Amino acid sequence: MKVKVISRSVDEFTRERSQDLQRVFRNYDPSLRPQEKAVEYVRALNAVKLDKIFARPFIGALDGHLDAISCMAKNPTQLKGIFSGAMDGDIRLWDLASRQIVCQFPGHQGAVRGLTVSTDGRSLVSCGTDATIRLWNVPVTTLSESDDLPKNIVEPASVYVWKNAFWGVDHQWDGEHFATVGAQVDIWNHNRSQPINSFEWGTDTVISVRFNPGEPNLLATSASDRSIVLYDLRMSSPLRKMIMMTKTNSLCWNPMEPINFTAANEDGNCYTYDARKLDEAKCVHKDHVSAVMDIDYSPTGREFVTGSYDRTVRLFQYNGGHSKEIYHTKRMQRVFCVKFSGDGSYVISGSDDTNLRIWKAKASEQLGVILPRERKKHDYQEALKKRYKHLPEVNRIARHLPRPIFKASALMRVMADAKKRKEDKRKAHSAPGSITTQPLRRRRVIKEVE
Amino acid sequence: MNDSVIPELYPESEYNPSRDVVEGDGRISIEDLLNPLSEKPTYGKLRKRELQIKKNTRTVHAPLSKAVQSKVERTTAYERSKKDVTKWQPIIQRNREAPTIFFDENVNLGFSTVGAIASEFEPRTEFEKKIAALVYDDKVVEAHKMDGSKLLEMNQVSIEDEKDRQNRIAKMRSLLFHHEMKKKHIKKIKSRTFHRLLKKDRLKAEASQIQMDPEAAKEYAMKRERERAEERMTLKHKNHNRWAKRIIQRGLNSQDEGTRAAIAEQHLRHAELTRKMHSMNGSSSSSEDTSDEDEDENSAASDQDRAYKLLGKAKDKTMKVLEEEDEVPKSGLLSLPFMRRGLEKRKEEAVEEANLAFQEYEDSLKKLENSGGSEDLKAALTSGRRVFGPAKAQISGTSIKEKSDNCYEGSDSEDDLGIGKSGNMENMESDLLHNEDLVVMQQETDTLQKSVFKNIDDIIENPGPKTTYEVSMFVSDSWKKAKNKNEDTAMKKSPKLTGPVRQDIKDTEKELREDSDTDSEGQMVDGILSSVSKVPYELPSQEELIRLTFAGDDVEDDFEKDKQEILNLENPEPEKPLLLPGWGQWTHIQEKKGLPSGMLKKHEEAQTKRAEALKKRKDARLKHVIISEKIDKKAEKLHTKSLPFPFTSKEVFEQSMRVPVGPEFNPASAIGLLNRPEVVKKPGVIIKPIEFEDVNPHEKPEQRSGGDKRKLKKNSRIGGKSIKKAKAGGKS
Repeated sequence: MKVKVISRSVDEFTRERSQDLQRVFRNYDPSLRPQEKAVEYVRALNAVKLDKIFARPFIGALDGHLDAISCMAKNPTQLKGIFSGAMDGDIRLWDLASRQIVCQFPGHQGAVRGLTVSTDGRSLVSCGTDATIRLWNVPVTTLSESDDLPKNIVEPASVYVWKNAFWGVDHQWDGEHFATVGAQVDIWNHNRSQPINSFEWGTDTVISVRFNPGEPNLLATSASDRSIVLYDLRMSSPLRKMIMMTKTNSLCWNPMEPINFTAANEDGNCYTYDARKLDEAKCVHKDHVSAVMDIDYSPTGREFVTGSYDRTVRLFQYNGGHSKEIYHTKRMQRVFCVKFSGDGSYVISGSDDTNLRIWKAKASEQLGVILPRERKKHDYQEALKKRYKHLPEVNRIARHLPRPIFKASALMRVMADAKKRKEDKRKAHSAPGSITTQPLRRRRVIKEVE
Repeated sequence: MNDSVIPELYPESEYNPSRDVVEGDGRISIEDLLNPLSEKPTYGKLRKRELQIKKNTRTVHAPLSKAVQSKVERTTAYERSKKDVTKWQPIIQRNREAPTIFFDENVNLGFSTVGAIASEFEPRTEFEKKIAALVYDDKVVEAHKMDGSKLLEMNQVSIEDEKDRQNRIAKMRSLLFHHEMKKKHIKKIKSRTFHRLLKKDRLKAEASQIQMDPEAAKEYAMKRERERAEERMTLKHKNHNRWAKRIIQRGLNSQDEGTRAAIAEQHLRHAELTRKMHSMNGSSSSSEDTSDEDEDENSAASDQDRAYKLLGKAKDKTMKVLEEEDEVPKSGLLSLPFMRRGLEKRKEEAVEEANLAFQEYEDSLKKLENSGGSEDLKAALTSGRRVFGPAKAQISGTSIKEKSDNCYEGSDSEDDLGIGKSGNMENMESDLLHNEDLVVMQQETDTLQKSVFKNIDDIIENPGPKTTYEVSMFVSDSWKKAKNKNEDTAMKKSPKLTGPVRQDIKDTEKELREDSDTDSEGQMVDGILSSVSKVPYELPSQEELIRLTFAGDDVEDDFEKDKQEILNLENPEPEKPLLLPGWGQWTHIQEKKGLPSGMLKKHEEAQTKRAEALKKRKDARLKHVIISEKIDKKAEKLHTKSLPFPFTSKEVFEQSMRVPVGPEFNPASAIGLLNRPEVVKKPGVIIKPIEFEDVNPHEKPEQRSGGDKRKLKKNSRIGGKSIKKAKAGGKS
């Protein structure tokens, strides 16, 4: 007679250490677990709720400037160094980890409008309304000593005085050129006191400039004539101009997709364009209720942050029509500049209330060292949220909005609805085919100029 | 090209007219220019060229305007850079399609070991330099180099020093130990006097210390001050302070309103605090009392019980009071002999009083029992309820209560309080119990009989619809089902069989009185069967069969009923307004006017609303259809209202939700892959912008590495089959 005995191999069931978890063997037969979907649904719901509870994105404010912050620049080689320029001509280097000023760069007579750092992180370029460009050598941060001593003050390495006020500056990635904008677009070299090249197309002031980090010779500018212009340093002329219905305050190239850039527009929307196809936006990112002042892409290229005149900072997916996060505090005023940190996990905003604010890029993320089991759990919850995000109970849980924003967005919705209704009626009462509605992606573009 | 050249210093304009304008046609031709050169050796060549140019003349267009020129330039430049940029397309495509992008691989974190970090260290501050000077001393370095043995030599300690050190440590240890033991010993001493003296000593020492040490004095003063402040705070509400006293002295009425309010507030506060204090003291007992009361109220089935309980409680309380008074103070004013005598006297009086009270309780209890018991008896006899279960329970319940009271009395008698009536009581009760038992027995038998008769009669008179069904069974010769309860009643339909059945029933009635009904049923059925088998059976006609088969099967009626039921369920009928005395109006008004008009109106409105809702239903006009309009709200939240954006078909969407992703439902090797986020990055690692790499868009997907700093990897699907990465398991 054969007797069946439960046998277990010692190797499989012996723990190496007493702290090790006991191995659990499961039968994954789905017929044994008829409730799995229900269980996961409830877990997803709980995950979303917890996500809302733990959404505490604000980390800290950097207080010290005496006037509104107009521009920021991050150090490409260092995570914790960030430069900020204020409307009173003050430039400071901050240490994000300790939230202290490392050193100051005094010298500008008017507002600082542009700041940028070379890719090696050694030199800082600033320009402003006093029509000067100043080059500074970035000091090696020695934080521990800067506590008690008087603030380190840095003298500019060189000052170039020019004919017109400057509105912005950006440095080429891995190159020695930087571009300033104002009356025209000037390309400068670190070693020369004169621009090595100038582009001019039209007479209006150019207000922002960004180099393409993936394709270092390509740059885009936006001007006060509501245009966006593309340039190539290898060509002697500008490439293409596109005019929109409202002004573009700032723009940013996607660092992982060098053909795409997103424009922060005065009408409260952001428009993502393909540089090869400027007559139509690829995506319209709606949610802000006032002009978007600045935009910056996450280095992962999957999301970007916008700062707006409506006193909020929002985070968007690179292909999302609506924001996934909204950051606001009672004390934060108009946001003039935003930056993603170099590792894509923090967001820094500079606003009218003279403060820089540090936020988490993921509002409910757990900071600090995360154990592998915790990491697994977080991943699982994220996967569940992603899977069940379309269901009404999960979908309904949203972030709190400040009252003015809530009301303004409601009003804008009403206006948009009314407009749509009117258009529909007009369409219905005219000969079929005589009135065509263009999608929003195309509607906001007036023309493309060759 | 023109054959004349006009040398002009300045470009031609209205301020600088050309010569031909000034002097007439005096153009300089090429010949004019060539003639002076006729003697030069290269003249022939020039002449030849000139002739050639003249022979085949071509027109050269004027250059385009600058605007147009730059436009053309821009267009071509744009085309070129467009083409250039398009090289990124496959890379972008790949990254977008990848379920996960990694940004955390092959990261050079700089120094990896402590040694590497230490080797880069340079002393900067004074302290660091001092340390460095010591560490990098030539002697020490040298000693380290020779396998460390020299270090020992340098680190020599004399034996005397070491001994001294050990002795010192041993002495300290023994001192500590002795101190500890002493403390333990003192702690164990139980004598109060000793501790009192000890405390006195300590206080004395402290006092002396206060005098000696200014620090200690200051501390002491602070402590006293704090105590005083606390006291002040507590006394504030007692009107003991000077201000309050003065105000009270002057008379509250002569004060202004603010002062009066302040004083009143103080009073209030004091009252509140004292109340709170009292309540804190007596809270436990009072809560118990209330809970007891609650229980009593809840459990009391009849007035009689409540009365019992009340009496019992009263007794209990008096008992308690007596017991409390037993305690005699052993010290203080009350312990003096004359005081004690007085107390004893008072206590005796109290005991007498209590005894009287107990007698009263007993009397009243007796009365209650007499009256209650007789009532019960009457009720049991006269009411003759058919359903005896609950009645019996009630009776037994009361009897149990009485018993418990009995026990209670017993305990009383033990207390030597002179209650001699418990014996009587017990007798009374036992009689009563006996009587009640009898009554119950009688009732039981009565009801049993009645119910049996009634059941059988009912069955005979009202053959239900199911009986016909059984008939059909009977017709089709399936005798095996004959044990069904309805079978026998079916028999009774045929008049021939009534006689024997009646007999049987009578038999069973007899049997019922002895046996349980189920057994008797079986026997009864057996009897019927035996009687039936003897009757000659004729096949009924087809019509009759059909009629018999569907005799009680009114399908239409059933359907209508079902529909009505569903309608009632989905649009429930409003409740009829109920006349509750004193509800909504005073009772006498209600008696006169009936229901309040508002209630009636509301009811009418609800009814009309329901009628409208019924009319609006989709199946309102369809007589033979039920269309359920019930929405399952619980299930609704598990469905999306429309197909979510990226999905184009319902099946695909459902498929995406089908397989669970949790660790309970998947093996550990698969979870990492299922749950991996879209972007994997490490906090604190700077992500550089993308670098170009050649990607063949038609290549099979596999692992690809970007630059040496960063890897972009892809795990994409081709032909619906996912290729799992070996790395996935390690990552999760």
